[in-house]
Amino acid sequence: MAGSQLKRLKATLKEQGIVGPQQSKKQKRKAAQDDRARSEKRLQRGVVLEGIREQFNPFDLKHAKTPKFEVTTNRPVTAASRIKGRPGAAKAASEERRRQTLLVDMQRRHKVGGILDRRFGENDPTMAPEEKMLERFAREKLKTHKKTSMFDLEDDDDAFPGEGLTHGGKALTFDEMDAMDDYEEDDIDDSASDVSEREMQRLKRVRAMAAEGDMDQDDQPERKKSKKEVMEEVIAKSKMHKYERQAAKEVDEELRAELDKELHGIQHLLTQSSKRQTEEKPQPSAIAGVERSVFDKDFDLQVKKLAQDKRAKPSDRTKTEEEKAEDESNRLKELEEKRQKRMRGESVSDSDGEDEDEEMGSDGSQAGDDSEDDFGLGRGINAKPTAAELGFDDEDDFIIDDDLVASGSDIDSDEELDLGSDMDAEEDESEEEEEEDEFTKGLLNEEESRNPVFSIDSTTKSADVEKGDENGLPYTFPCPQSLEEFQSVTASYPGTSLPTIVQRIRALYHPKLDSKNKERLGKFAAALVAFISSPWDPETSPPFSVLESLIRHIHSLAKSFPLEIAQEFRTQIEEISNERPLAIQPGDLILLTAVGTIFPTSDHFHQVVTPAMLVIARYLGQKVPQDLADHAIGSYLSILTLQYQKLAKRYVPEVLNFALNTLCALAPTSPSAGVGSFPRHDSPASLRAKGASQVSVRKLGFSDCLHSDSSPVELKVAILHTVSQISDAAADTWSSKGAFIETFGQVLEVIKHLNAKACRSHLPSELRDRTEKLQVKLERMMNLSGLSRRPLELHHHKPLAIKTYVPKFEETFDPDKHYDPDRERAELAKLKKEHKRERKGAMRELRKDANFMARENLRIKKAKDEAYEKKYKRLVAEIQSEEGREANAYEREKAARKRSRNR
Amino acid sequence: MAPKAKDAVAKPKRKRASDSEKPVKRRRSLSHEDESPGDKILLMEQGILESKKNYNNIPILLQTMESYKDGSEESVLAAVALCRVFMRLLAQGAFVSKKGLSEKDSVVLAWLKDQLNLYKTTLLAILASEEELSGTALTLSMRLLKAEGEFLYDREEYTFPTNFLQNIIVALLQTDNDEVRGTFMQEYAEGYDDIRFYTFKSIKSAIESSVDVVSEAEVFDHALSMLSALDGVPESAEELEDFYVPAPKKKNHNLRSVTQHKRQGQEAWLALTGIAKSKEQRKSILNIMSTVIAPWFTKPELLADFLTHSYDTGGSMSLLALSGVFYLIQERNLDYPSFYHKLYSLLDRSILHSKHRSRFFRLLDTFLGSTHLPAALVASFIKRLSRLSLNAPPSAVVFVIPWIYNQLRRHPTCTLMIHRENKDPSIKKLIQNNGVEDPFLPDETDPMETGAIDSSLWEIEQLQSHYHPNVATIAKIISDQFTKQSYNMEDFLDHSYATLLEAEMTKNVRKAPVVEFHIPKRVFLPQDEPTANPDSLLVKLWSFQ
Repeated sequence: MAGSQLKRLKATLKEQGIVGPQQSKKQKRKAAQDDRARSEKRLQRGVVLEGIREQFNPFDLKHAKTPKFEVTTNRPVTAASRIKGRPGAAKAASEERRRQTLLVDMQRRHKVGGILDRRFGENDPTMAPEEKMLERFAREKLKTHKKTSMFDLEDDDDAFPGEGLTHGGKALTFDEMDAMDDYEEDDIDDSASDVSEREMQRLKRVRAMAAEGDMDQDDQPERKKSKKEVMEEVIAKSKMHKYERQAAKEVDEELRAELDKELHGIQHLLTQSSKRQTEEKPQPSAIAGVERSVFDKDFDLQVKKLAQDKRAKPSDRTKTEEEKAEDESNRLKELEEKRQKRMRGESVSDSDGEDEDEEMGSDGSQAGDDSEDDFGLGRGINAKPTAAELGFDDEDDFIIDDDLVASGSDIDSDEELDLGSDMDAEEDESEEEEEEDEFTKGLLNEEESRNPVFSIDSTTKSADVEKGDENGLPYTFPCPQSLEEFQSVTASYPGTSLPTIVQRIRALYHPKLDSKNKERLGKFAAALVAFISSPWDPETSPPFSVLESLIRHIHSLAKSFPLEIAQEFRTQIEEISNERPLAIQPGDLILLTAVGTIFPTSDHFHQVVTPAMLVIARYLGQKVPQDLADHAIGSYLSILTLQYQKLAKRYVPEVLNFALNTLCALAPTSPSAGVGSFPRHDSPASLRAKGASQVSVRKLGFSDCLHSDSSPVELKVAILHTVSQISDAAADTWSSKGAFIETFGQVLEVIKHLNAKACRSHLPSELRDRTEKLQVKLERMMNLSGLSRRPLELHHHKPLAIKTYVPKFEETFDPDKHYDPDRERAELAKLKKEHKRERKGAMRELRKDANFMARENLRIKKAKDEAYEKKYKRLVAEIQSEEGREANAYEREKAARKRSRNR
Repeated sequence: MAPKAKDAVAKPKRKRASDSEKPVKRRRSLSHEDESPGDKILLMEQGILESKKNYNNIPILLQTMESYKDGSEESVLAAVALCRVFMRLLAQGAFVSKKGLSEKDSVVLAWLKDQLNLYKTTLLAILASEEELSGTALTLSMRLLKAEGEFLYDREEYTFPTNFLQNIIVALLQTDNDEVRGTFMQEYAEGYDDIRFYTFKSIKSAIESSVDVVSEAEVFDHALSMLSALDGVPESAEELEDFYVPAPKKKNHNLRSVTQHKRQGQEAWLALTGIAKSKEQRKSILNIMSTVIAPWFTKPELLADFLTHSYDTGGSMSLLALSGVFYLIQERNLDYPSFYHKLYSLLDRSILHSKHRSRFFRLLDTFLGSTHLPAALVASFIKRLSRLSLNAPPSAVVFVIPWIYNQLRRHPTCTLMIHRENKDPSIKKLIQNNGVEDPFLPDETDPMETGAIDSSLWEIEQLQSHYHPNVATIAKIISDQFTKQSYNMEDFLDHSYATLLEAEMTKNVRKAPVVEFHIPKRVFLPQDEPTANPDSLLVKLWSFQ
């Protein structure tokens, strides 16, 4: 566009119609009369001017950079979106803000204290003192009457009579209608009786007011209402509407109440004809002596309950034999799977374990039934309902007792007798029906009879103890809490009666009978463990049949008290390892045997078995046998180890080391030094089995484990025989091991030595047969193992990928987003960015503050300088004028004198 | 440094002060207790010091002193008095032969010297034999030694009474009293550089002079206990400033040089190793080899004979000598041609059971740490160890396996031992039909020729089913992917049955342990129906009456 800025402005103004040709007077008048049009026009004019101003000042706006080239974006480009900011306006605003804050601070700087005089009109010189006083008084008054609440109508009226509800600019006065000035009051206080009357009055008034308003509007010229007035009107209107609604509702209510009152009469009239019939009926409010409503309620409830009740389902039917067998096999399979898992060292998940526990706990009685099946004894137990009721759901009781009875040995028959007599003494129950089921009857009856026994415990106990059964065994015992107590309890009875005593104690202190019994039995179980591991003596110790049944008792107790029993076993093992790691006693052997039967030895790790295994291995590996008893103990431990590893088939080097050492030590002649690669111990030559060709071979026994000075040839042969059997068993156990050839090659060498001429002549034929057989067997097994041997291929792993650092490809990549996979780092980056931005902002503000201050200072200085200059100039001028006057006077004087002289 | 040196100076001073106090006290107390013999001896002492005429009292005192065997207290008093007398006389210069002495005087001088020697021999006899008095005798002889060193000869020249010290040492070597030896070593030999210097010398000559075998063993034990107490090797000449006898003035005297000190130590130790005949003696020397003995040696090569000889002996001796030999090879270029050969032979059946196994394996780890060793050699070691671990306790297996892992990482060629695929179909078929024979030759002594590299580690595979859960888990690392760079061997050494058990027992039982669900009918006794429920192994092999 050509032309200067001014020309363009003029053109634009003309274009927009802001400046036009001059209007005539008539036109002007017309325009002035058309009020609305004028104001509209003014508004429009303002908008247009604003637009022109903007257009002509391009620096008022900050525009976004236009792209250099045409680009397509998915965001619409509008003019508004291009405008980034208004620097001028922003600057002005910030300047203003600074003036209000910073400037005040600046002026206040270095000024301490001071009082701000806020009295009205104090700084206003135009006001006269009287005016000031008057105004102050007015303000004071106003303050005391200040509105406390926005909706406080009363105060409102008093304080600002002009600002209350108005009517045609006049304040409303309710003096003549005193009762009606407050609507709320009406609502709350009015009694029902005079509600209508007052309502009418009120409605009338409202209507009248409305009519008046209409009239007012009619007869007065339209006056522009202020905003306040408009709002008041609106409020008044809404209030009015509300009251109208309320009033209408109240009227309705009243009507209804009246109707209700009358209804009785009407009903009476209506039903009069049929009344006779209904009279005969009993009052329906009472049914079967119950209040009607209550009855109804009850009925509803019953119906609901019925609806919610489960449908009757067929209860678990009695399983057939096959099904039972299948269940049992499934259970066993599951247990076996868990065992396998533990053997592989995989963790059997906790929930699994809990499930198992729950299973054991919840349907214990059923499990009990099952487990009888397990032991082939379960038939007919279902007929006896008492078991579960007595809380007798510990399957182990069944098992253990069944087994005890079933085994039919002397003690057991004793026990059976005991039980039978027990029953006789306690309770007279027909035995005939249960004859066919004699294993369980005694037990069950005892169980049944236990309750009464227990209930009259305190009174009959002493009598019972004294009475005893025919063997002199009492029926009740205190529950031993430690080994000493157990020993003192059992001291007076023969060793063979121990199982009976234990069983009676277990029955007497069954956990179901008393809450404390659980703890008692736990301690009792620990005492039992300590008992079996107490030193073994051929004379005084109970026979193995008794020990066996004790171990089995512990086993069954271990199912309910695994923690206590395991803890006790561990304590015993720890004692062995601390006090006599290389001098294991026969009692310890029994303990270790018990560990092997009670706990699953195939587990990868077990809290009891692993330490026990270590104790055994330590003895086998480190003990240098000095006499035959050491060899015998070692043999026992080796057998035990092999039994431990029956399922898991884990390799125990110590067993072979011990067996080989024993064979070498007892062989009639010493083998050459190069045999095998096991560490050889030096052993006394007196142990060699020489000249034993006529000795018969026997099994080793516990009494061989006791140290004695003599070393009979018979025992040597027995040890040799046992150890060769151990080697045999070991070969069977570890036949599938990778290094079978290397492992058993050593055994073969030693056996060959035993079969060599030098040794043969000294050994009995039975032993010779065995070693020869073993040699043949080992040779065969080694051949087989050699055939099945393959080179190791352990590393068929997937090759490891090299770690890559190329960033991940994003399907929908957004450059504004951060794709840092490291959450922490991303957050840190965000924080850093924010910090930077804030920092920059703060710096900018500070800079602007500094500029502002400098500007202000300069302004103040300029003002000061100017004032000074002015003053200076004024003074100079004054002086000059004075001096000029004086000079003139002097001149005049001089001229006068001259003149006078000249004169 | 400065305060330390000061301390060192101050210490002997204090000692001397206390020494000088002691006799005074003793005299006083004695005079109080039994006046007659004490007074008599005191008077005699006084007399001798006052005039030459009373010299004749010396033999009397000597006689009194010689009655120590009867246990009389007077002999002690006499000894103390004589010591004072001789010290005073020495200080007076009575023993210095000057020119122009009259014949009479020289006779007296010779006589006096005789008396002194007599006194010394008596003192040493007390030292060597008497239990109770030997402490006093030692103190007296040392004080006399000092006096002799100071005054016996002309003051110009430095002289140390070497002979006397040697006699003292011989006496000390003979005595069975460990306490006296201890005091001597603590108070004199360790504290004073010159004493130590000459002690070494004396011990050396004493050892060399001992003839018969019986005394040799005794001398060895005593000498070893004395020498091993001397472990403070001087580092620099500045440290050599504690002298019992006033120090030589010459700067380049032997006593002033560290190398000379070291040489004395070295020679004494060499002499000792020379008479170490029995295994026990050698072991006791080897045990302190690196800590005590080696620092004295300026030429450790001198030990080579001893070490290689010990190393060749085999057994635990070799283990002990190993570190020494390795040091010589590494630092002194000792040429030990068949080192690895020998090392391989050390891996015998008892190595994994030996109590020195941790020490040995630390060394073995160092020896085989190089990646430049031939793979065949490393493979032999790996195979040998895995073979041995078949009979090893868990504590040994526990470090053998990580060690093998580390070796396999260092020598990838050896991984053939754990992973060998045969691609050739004919070989495959052969293996299918006949299995594999282990090409490893266990009896081959040359680690390069064992053929282990062509073998497989079936032994380790077997150990993966070890009874101890941790060992089994560790053994599994061999068949897992080799993601770890290496295992720190220190974590696996120094285990034993006891520590393994302790580790098990310290774990608390929180979760109830699993209990065998099946309660066996019979534990000790034979089953009722052997066909249905076979007897356990225990019942079969053992009789429970």
